[in-house]
Amino acid sequence: MAKIEKKRGSGKILGALALVFILAGLYFALIEAPPDANQGDVQRIMYIHIPSILTAYLSFFIVFVGSCLYLWKRERRDDILARSAAEVGVLFTALTIVEGSIWGKPTWGVWWTWDARLTLTAILLMIFAGYMMLRSLIEDEDRAAVSAAVVGIIGFLDIPLIHMSVYWWRTLHQPPSILRPDKAPWENVHPAMLIALAINFAAFLLLYFYLLSLRIRVGETEERVKREMLGGIA
Amino acid sequence: MHLEVRRLSKSYGFAWALKEIDLELRSGDCVALLGPNGAGKTTLLKALCGLLRPTMGEICADGTKLRHGPARLQPAIGLLSPGDHLYDKLTAEENLRLFLALYNRQENRGEIGNALAAAGLSDWSGEYVASFSSGMKCRLSIAKWLLLDPKLLLVDEPYGVLDGSGVDLLETHLKNVCRSGGIVVTATHHVTRAVALCSRAIILRRGKVIFDEAKRTPWNNIYRAVEEFLPKGESWPS
Amino acid sequence: MAFLRHTLWLLWKDLLLERRRHESLLAMFFFGTLLLFIFQFALDVQPEKAADMAPGLLWLALVFCGTLGLMQLFQPERENHCLDALLLAPIDRAAIFLSKVLFNLMLMALLEIVVLPLFWVLFNLAAWDRLPWVFLYGLLGTVGFCVVGTLFSALTLTARGREILLPLLLLPLLIPVVLATIRGMEIILRAGDFSESLPWLHLLIGFDLIFSTAGMLVFEWVIES
Repeated sequence: MAKIEKKRGSGKILGALALVFILAGLYFALIEAPPDANQGDVQRIMYIHIPSILTAYLSFFIVFVGSCLYLWKRERRDDILARSAAEVGVLFTALTIVEGSIWGKPTWGVWWTWDARLTLTAILLMIFAGYMMLRSLIEDEDRAAVSAAVVGIIGFLDIPLIHMSVYWWRTLHQPPSILRPDKAPWENVHPAMLIALAINFAAFLLLYFYLLSLRIRVGETEERVKREMLGGIA
Repeated sequence: MHLEVRRLSKSYGFAWALKEIDLELRSGDCVALLGPNGAGKTTLLKALCGLLRPTMGEICADGTKLRHGPARLQPAIGLLSPGDHLYDKLTAEENLRLFLALYNRQENRGEIGNALAAAGLSDWSGEYVASFSSGMKCRLSIAKWLLLDPKLLLVDEPYGVLDGSGVDLLETHLKNVCRSGGIVVTATHHVTRAVALCSRAIILRRGKVIFDEAKRTPWNNIYRAVEEFLPKGESWPS
Repeated sequence: MAFLRHTLWLLWKDLLLERRRHESLLAMFFFGTLLLFIFQFALDVQPEKAADMAPGLLWLALVFCGTLGLMQLFQPERENHCLDALLLAPIDRAAIFLSKVLFNLMLMALLEIVVLPLFWVLFNLAAWDRLPWVFLYGLLGTVGFCVVGTLFSALTLTARGREILLPLLLLPLLIPVVLATIRGMEIILRAGDFSESLPWLHLLIGFDLIFSTAGMLVFEWVIES
C-alpha cells in the first residue's frame, strides 16, 4: 500500500506540473506569440498540433519498448506499460487528427486531405486501434499479451517504412504544396513563437506522462485484483 | 533419464489447474496418472512435454532446465493423444513419413511398413486418416511412437477407443519403453487396467498430488485414494 | 541443414493437402477474376486511363484474394491439434513460418501468373514486353504480403472475429508494400524508364528483408500456446 501511496503522490505532482505548463503554454500561445505573417491566428493551433503528434510517436516508442521487455522477461508490468501507452497514444493521435482538421478547414477549405502528414497520422491511429482490438479479441490473457507485443514490435519497425512510402507518394510526381504547415520552426521565427512551442511541448509531455501513470496504476490495480481472485495456491 | 518437477503451477484465468506439483521420474518408471475429471491430468502431461508454459515452477531433465518449448530436449518426449496429431488428408504412410523426417530419422520403407503391420494397419497404409475410426487413429499414433522411440512417452486417455487387441498392443509397447530405460506416464480413468500395467501411481485432485507411491503388494492405500472417483460397481483385482 | 529439410517437408505436406482439399487456390482464382470483372463494371475504366488505374486495381484484387488465402493458411494445423504435433517435434519453429510463407507465396504466384495476363487482356494494356517487369514488382510485393500476412495469420489464430481482425491489423502495416508495388508498376507501364522506379524497388526489397528476418525471429513466440 505504501508503494501505491507514494505513486499517487508523485502522480499528483506530475499532474500539477502539467497543469501549470498547460496554462503557461496557453498564455504564450494565445497572447505572447505574434500571429503568423501568412496564416494569421489559425496558425496558433500548431503550438499544440506539433507537440501532440510528437507525443503520439513517443507513445508508440514506449509500446515498442514495453513489448520488447515483455517478450524477453514476461513480466506483467511491461505488458501493462505497453497497453497503457497504446491507450493514451490513441487519445493523442486522435487529438492530432482533430487539430489537423481544425487547422485545415480555414486554410485549405476542406476538413480532410490526403497529404502526407494527415495520412500518416491516420495510419498510426489505425495501427493503435488494431493493437487494442487484438488484445480484446483474444480470450487467453497471456496469449493476448504476447500477440500484442509482437504487433507492437512489428508496427514500430514498420513506421519508418510507412513514412518513406507515404512521403514519396505525395512528393515524387506531385507538386509541392504551397502551404507547408510544419516547416521547421526554428528558421527565421519570432522568439516568442519558439518559447510558446517549447512550453507547450513540455506541457504535452507532462500531460502525457501524467495520463500514462494514471493508466498504469489502473492496470496494476486490475492485475492485483485478478491475482486476488485467483487466490492462493493452497 | 531423470525428470524433476519442482513447484509446477499453471493458472487459467481465475483458476489454478496445477498447484505446486513436485515430482521425480526415473528411467524405467511406468506411471499411472489417475484422478477425477478436471483434476489436471491433461494439463500436467502438456506441461511435461513443453506444450504449456507453466505459470510458476520448473521442470528439469537430466539436470538441464526444460526451457519452454520442447525443441531443446527433442526427440526425447512423445505425447500420445488418441485422435490428435495426425493430418486427416494425408495417408497413414504419409503421416508417418512426415513425422520421421521432422524427428530427424532416416526414412526406411521397411520400417514404416513394419510399424503399420505391428499396429494392425497394413491394409490401410494408403488410406486417408480421415476415413479411420478413432480406434484406428489411436493405433496409428501407437505406430508413430513405435517408430520415433521417445525416452519419455506421455499417454492421454488411451483406453476409451481401443479394442482388446489394441489395448494389448499399447500395453506391450509401453512395457517395452520402460524396459529399455524410458519413462511412461499414462493418464487414465481406467484405474484397474492402469494399476495392473504400471509400477507406480500418482493421483491428482484439483491440481494437487494427493498420492504418489510405487506399487506394492497388497496396495491398500491406493484403494482408499481412488474410491471417490471409481465408478460404482467396478471391482478390484484381488 | 536440418532447418531447410524440415521447411521443405512441411511445404510438401501443405502442397499435398492443398491439392487434395482444394481450399485455397480455386477460391482465390475465381474470386480474383470476379473482382476484375466487377471493377470494370463499377469503375467503367476507359482505355486511356487503363494504364494508370491498372496497377491499383490489380493490387486491390490480389490483396483481397491473398487475405482469403491467409484465413485458410493454418487450417490443417487447427484440425486434430496438429499444431501441437509440430510444436512437439524437434524442429526450429521458424521452419514452420518459412514453410507457410513459401506455401502462400507459391499459391499467390500461381494466381498472379494466371491473373496478370488476364488483366492485361481485359484492360487492353499494350506493351507485352513490360509484363516481366510488372511481374517482378508483383512478386516482390507478394513476398512482403506473405511474410507479414503469415505472421498475422498465426497471431490471430485464436482470436474472435478473425475475419475482420486480420485485414484490420494487416492492411495498414502493408501500406509500404502496396504503395511501392503500385507506384513501381505505374512507372513501368507509363514511361518504361526502369531507373525511375528504383527507389520503390529498394523500399520493397528492404521491407521484404526486414520483415522476413523479424518474422523468423518472433515466430517462436507467436505460435506457442
